[in-house]
Amino acid sequence: MTTATQEPQKITLNIAVGGMTCASCVAHVEGGLREVPGVTRAVVSLATERAAVEYVPGMATLDDFRQAIEEVGYQFLGPVEEGVVALDREKEARQQELRRQRNNLIIAGSIGLLVMIGTFQPYWFLPRIFPEWMNNKVFLFFLTTPIVFGPGHQFFVNSWNGLKRGLTDMNLLYATGIGAAYLIAVINTFWPEAGFGGREATFYEAAALLTAFIILGRYLEAVTRGRTSEAIRRLMKLQPRRARVLRDGQEVEIAAEEVQLGDLLLVRPGEAIPVDGVVVEGYSSVDQSMITGESMPVEKRAGDEVVGGTLNKTGAFKFRATRVGRDTALAQIIKLVEEAQTTKAPIQKIADSVAGVFILGVHVLALTVFLFWFFAGYGLWFVPESRLILTPYLLTGMGVFGFALLTSVTVLIISCPCAVGLATPSAIMAGSGKAAEHGILFKGADAMEATAKLQVVIFDKTGTLTRGEPSVTDVVALGRMAQDEVLHMAAVAEKNSEHPLGEAIVRGARDRGLEPEDAHSFNSIPGHGVEATLNGRSILLGNRKLMADRKVSLDGLTGEAERLENEGKTAMFVAVNGSPAGIVAVADTLKETSRQAVKELQRMGLQVIMMTGDNRRTAQAIAQQIGIDRVLAEVLPGEKANEVKKLQAEGLRVAMVGDGVNDAPALAQADAGIAIGSGTDVAKETGHVILMKDDLMDVVAALQVARQTLRLIKQNLGWAFGYNILAMPIGAGLLYPFFAQMVSPELAALLMATSSLSVTLNTLRMTGYVPPIRRPGRSRAIVQEVAA
Amino acid sequence: MRKVSVISALVYLSMSSLGAGLFLAITLAGDYSWVARLGGSAWIFLLSNIVLMPLVIPVVKKRLGA
Repeated sequence: MTTATQEPQKITLNIAVGGMTCASCVAHVEGGLREVPGVTRAVVSLATERAAVEYVPGMATLDDFRQAIEEVGYQFLGPVEEGVVALDREKEARQQELRRQRNNLIIAGSIGLLVMIGTFQPYWFLPRIFPEWMNNKVFLFFLTTPIVFGPGHQFFVNSWNGLKRGLTDMNLLYATGIGAAYLIAVINTFWPEAGFGGREATFYEAAALLTAFIILGRYLEAVTRGRTSEAIRRLMKLQPRRARVLRDGQEVEIAAEEVQLGDLLLVRPGEAIPVDGVVVEGYSSVDQSMITGESMPVEKRAGDEVVGGTLNKTGAFKFRATRVGRDTALAQIIKLVEEAQTTKAPIQKIADSVAGVFILGVHVLALTVFLFWFFAGYGLWFVPESRLILTPYLLTGMGVFGFALLTSVTVLIISCPCAVGLATPSAIMAGSGKAAEHGILFKGADAMEATAKLQVVIFDKTGTLTRGEPSVTDVVALGRMAQDEVLHMAAVAEKNSEHPLGEAIVRGARDRGLEPEDAHSFNSIPGHGVEATLNGRSILLGNRKLMADRKVSLDGLTGEAERLENEGKTAMFVAVNGSPAGIVAVADTLKETSRQAVKELQRMGLQVIMMTGDNRRTAQAIAQQIGIDRVLAEVLPGEKANEVKKLQAEGLRVAMVGDGVNDAPALAQADAGIAIGSGTDVAKETGHVILMKDDLMDVVAALQVARQTLRLIKQNLGWAFGYNILAMPIGAGLLYPFFAQMVSPELAALLMATSSLSVTLNTLRMTGYVPPIRRPGRSRAIVQEVAA
Repeated sequence: MRKVSVISALVYLSMSSLGAGLFLAITLAGDYSWVARLGGSAWIFLLSNIVLMPLVIPVVKKRLGA
């Protein structure tokens, strides 16, 4: 007896989460959600502020998720909706957060400026401009307190929510920093003899400006998140809101979401197509560039498919809806890009775990620095005439505790790795959005990283490098017969044939304006060729064996036939009235961009391999034409995945490029499976990377976007961690023994905001990025190079 | 869950208090003001708590199988 165990059905829910600011926030929310019984997977994206939760329905409820998220100190904003409504809500939520941080920044910044002026009033030229009462410590206390407990309130609340569950995050660094600076200032104002430096060392401006600079960092992060998700928003904006439906012969305008499957719709020139469908009447050209990246408008007539979100240019037409709502190509693309942005690249997982440990490490360092300056540093190096960098303060009245505490607080603030949390997801968002603009869809951040690290690209031959259907490539005429006449005769013989080679010959003749007449008689000779008669002339078309059987001499044609066969073509001999007339060669032809794409990939340092089920001679001939050195020939469809595995066993990172139909196992096996020419039905594809157009140059573009994104991630992480590594020793007082200069807490906060700014600006560079292969003039240059 | 919180709090608060007490004891041997001694102890207590809380809670949680 056998027992079948059935895997419980799982569903994935996307939840909007508010209040996350750093990598450790992500870890907290993920940890909280994973603890909910029934949850099998939880992935949180800081950049999109979403959690993708996979769970067993019935075991977990929305309320459980709300509780789990709120328990770790963040806001449960509800399940993510789709479509235009989601766009509006998402936009509103984002603007609300931006507005909140901007208001906080205005309050903290403007009052903080007053506090700074008041603090420094006795110095430089300031006494001539500002009254003395501005320097009154009680006045400064009343100015600073609303900043600390107003805009700064969020840091105390968030850090406490985390702490009571044993979680530390950036908020804790901010809260301890702001709290300690404020506390010293209050003590020095009301109890000046307490030994914290007295009234000359009230750090109100530190607490105020620290809050302002941290909020500046937060504001910049919110701006970056908004900008990098611009690609998704642009795709969402393509979804038309209204549709003209023909019901009972009447034109009715309805909301696009209300269009039903099978509805007949009318589209006028200049209007966007509301859903996917098939044209039933009319003719027009449609700009599909926003979906597929095709630069030229595509002609549409009855029977052609149209895609929702594309723009009708010239004529009016009617079409029947075939895919509506979340099934449309545009909805599928948006879903894919969103999913890609919610996943984590391996590099991000490392960065997140490092950042999590880092925060704890910073507190240990702050503790160590305090103990060092308290017990050793102060006694050894303290100089009463020393100053805080960029301030007129003298530290004369500063006692051992005040000095050690100040250094410890500065370490907490200067070491904050807030930019680390933003470094990877913002770059992934920008990169996947940019790729989508070119009709390239990465199914996940891991696919993007894998694509960037590729060493080998395997191309399937038929349908990928070649068009996948034979066509006439050469016509050789013997004696006085013209080439067109030879082709015409061959086409007459093959007119009734259903063989792919025969169809290619008929199509080839028609392409040259030669319409084959109906033969008077026709006879198929299986495995050899065909014979036919026309106007009393007998036509024989077939291979050597057929010609030998019918005693047709091939003298004068053998050499040409061998040449054509060495080029991977199928040579068919034509004889008229028993005499040799010529050869018609048929082959699967290369796609226009195959050679250029291969050349460019090789230039990028990749090894290019062609895989095919063809015999070695044909395969070699095709590979030679394209410029590929290594060929895996005579590989059966079922063995393709094994060939990929063999290369991976050599330690190579392999991409498989195929049409996604019979290559599915190989695409899945590859480090990056690139499905080409999927059109708009992207959801069905098995690859990790989906190219909507049937253009091999997009393989190059995908690699270039992926490499640029990974470069951006590395630069961002370099900026973020590099800043911390450099700033920490300075914050800890490394310069003090030599120059008697200390970094003030507010300067530490400014430096920290600068690291966020550098990551923000670096990521925004992706906005204007165009893959080199898509830059004007580049493709032309490659074509010329390949031709040369 | 409550049991975890209580036991964890007992552990990290005790350890932090021990750290702060040790600091106070060392400063008693030196020439420090009471502000420095008590203020320093408080700061050590606070930072020790912050460091210990995320370390202790998961361990207790694991031990109790919560």
